[in-house]
Amino acid sequence: MAPRSLSARLLASASVLLIVFFGITIAALDIVFRNLSEQTMRDRLEGQLLALITASEEDPDGWLQPAPAKTEERLENPGSGLYGEILRSDGYPSWRSNSLTGTGLDFKTHLRSGERAYVQLHRADGAPVRALSRAIDWQFEDGVVRTFVFSVAEDLDPYYRSLAAFRGRLFGWFGFLMLLLLGSFALMLRRVLSPLRRVEREINAIEMGNLTELGTGYPRELLGITANLNALLRSERERLARYRNTLGNLAHSLKTPLAVMRNVLNHPQVRALPVARQLDEQVSRMDDIVKYQLRRAAVSGGTGLGSAPVNVRENLESLRSALLKVYADRGIECTLEVDGGCVFFGDREDLTEMAGNLLDNAFKWACSKVHVRAERLTAPKARRDGLKLIVEDDGPGVPPEQRSHVLARGTRLDERVSGQGIGLSVVRELAGLNGGSVTIDESPFGGARVEVTLPPA
Amino acid sequence: MRVLIVEDETALRESLVQQLKDAGFNVDAAADGEEGLYFGREYAIDLAIIDLGLPKVPGLELIKKLREERKAYPILILTARDRWQDKVEGLQAGADDYVAKPFHFEELLARMQALLRRSGGWAQPVLRCGPVALDPRTQEVTVNDQKVELTSFEYRILEYLMHRAGEVISKTELTERLYAQDFDRDSNTIEVFIGRLRRKLDPGDTIKPIETLRGRGYRFALEREGASAGAVDS
Repeated sequence: MAPRSLSARLLASASVLLIVFFGITIAALDIVFRNLSEQTMRDRLEGQLLALITASEEDPDGWLQPAPAKTEERLENPGSGLYGEILRSDGYPSWRSNSLTGTGLDFKTHLRSGERAYVQLHRADGAPVRALSRAIDWQFEDGVVRTFVFSVAEDLDPYYRSLAAFRGRLFGWFGFLMLLLLGSFALMLRRVLSPLRRVEREINAIEMGNLTELGTGYPRELLGITANLNALLRSERERLARYRNTLGNLAHSLKTPLAVMRNVLNHPQVRALPVARQLDEQVSRMDDIVKYQLRRAAVSGGTGLGSAPVNVRENLESLRSALLKVYADRGIECTLEVDGGCVFFGDREDLTEMAGNLLDNAFKWACSKVHVRAERLTAPKARRDGLKLIVEDDGPGVPPEQRSHVLARGTRLDERVSGQGIGLSVVRELAGLNGGSVTIDESPFGGARVEVTLPPA
Repeated sequence: MRVLIVEDETALRESLVQQLKDAGFNVDAAADGEEGLYFGREYAIDLAIIDLGLPKVPGLELIKKLREERKAYPILILTARDRWQDKVEGLQAGADDYVAKPFHFEELLARMQALLRRSGGWAQPVLRCGPVALDPRTQEVTVNDQKVELTSFEYRILEYLMHRAGEVISKTELTERLYAQDFDRDSNTIEVFIGRLRRKLDPGDTIKPIETLRGRGYRFALEREGASAGAVDS
């Protein structure tokens, strides 16, 4: 599973928590509401029953029925939802309310004196009804005691309707509340996480070379991370600079003695000795080894974190003017063709080293013309553009069978003849460390065409 | 030709001074950037060889300062660092060429001669003025393709005059460029050498290569051949 973002995780957890919390709350409120309604209904039925008993009068035939004036009006109206019945203990109805007409409701009470029943019944059409019955011994004026069952019932529909309305409102309000909570939580998260997003943005900018380090003003909790990251970036840059400086000093201190040795070997008396030539060759070898190894070691080969993208045109132009100076006698024409917005994402020295070696080679071999072209390489998903560097000359070129050899040279120093130059192998090595490759071809001008491709990343 | 060497490594400096003297140059040597800056400012120098890794004032800085003070003589860098960044920076600062250590003296000499030639406005390796030809590489002088035998000092005077053919060069300047500092500067000696040169180059007194401008100095009067458009400048 792909790792989700922090805010998505937090929002998901909060949603689950809220749903559980609100679910329990809704269930509890529902139970309370139902119990309360039930109680209210029962109390109401008790009241109706008592009213019915109180209103009842006996007639001479030994029947009981409520006095019309004292009868609850709803009992008289069919379809009112309130029903009543007085039943003699032998099962004969003494009185049935008008509202019972057409309902087909049967109280089915077989109570003995003093018993009560509170049940749910159904009308003939299936609608539920709550009924309360009570059996009472009634002493008539003639002294005879007869048992009657008094019953009242009420339709449950209104109760269910109000329950449904209650639930609807409950869900509505709680849903609204939950959305409100989640929304404010999301906003809060955004605010809380905004420093993290800033870190991300700034790290991107550092990778792209638009920033050298993370900014200030981070919250206390992040300061540890940002400060350490900055320290790391700084120390990495300083380390590379220090490292290069040390290597430079090392080169200086190794090569100056070699230069002295070579000068001593050039002394007329020494030069005449047979060993002089041999010693000179050894000096050349040592020079090559120092040159190759130190050059390799000085290569950053990395992304150059926090260093600005190198302007390829500027870089090539300064190399071009430098080489035109050095090769002033040769009268070489050097043309430069650079795509707009062409930059190198990496270490300036790596680019200078690659281009310097390529151009130097071209100038060395060209008859009259060197052409340099830099192309911008793009890819849809790449964060950094690539770079293609093509250097062509009109010199003798490199025969196809020697091309791979020229590039591979330098890996086995012992096999190399001194003075052949290690330029192209350095270029290959540098291109490789920067994720690219080098190919040698024939130029339309007749000489060599060396192409360095650093793909977009 | 007067050359300044700024190199901190004593052994290398001394051996270079000796070899350059042997090659006919008038050499000044400085062991650090500060001394180099002083010499480079005060002396009439034709070419400076500057090591990049110098104590006190770094080589790069030294070159920049000399160029800021409009010192136009060619500057050759000696560098132990092989990185292109260093070379480019040196050349951008105002140097004209570089030689990487360890070098063969012959290579250094060839580069120096090329720079000197270019600074005098010469495009070809052999300096030709009318029938007179001088090859700095072999130090051979010919008149109408006939080799002329010159002493070392005569050659140095002729080389300097031909390098700047067409320009008036005072006696003082000639002494400064050709004699070592501690040499007894007697301008009469110059006159003697000029007289000898005239006799050797122009025994019949027909081509009159060297002109004397009373009170101002000398001028190599023959027309240049194969000269480039202008002198090297930075």
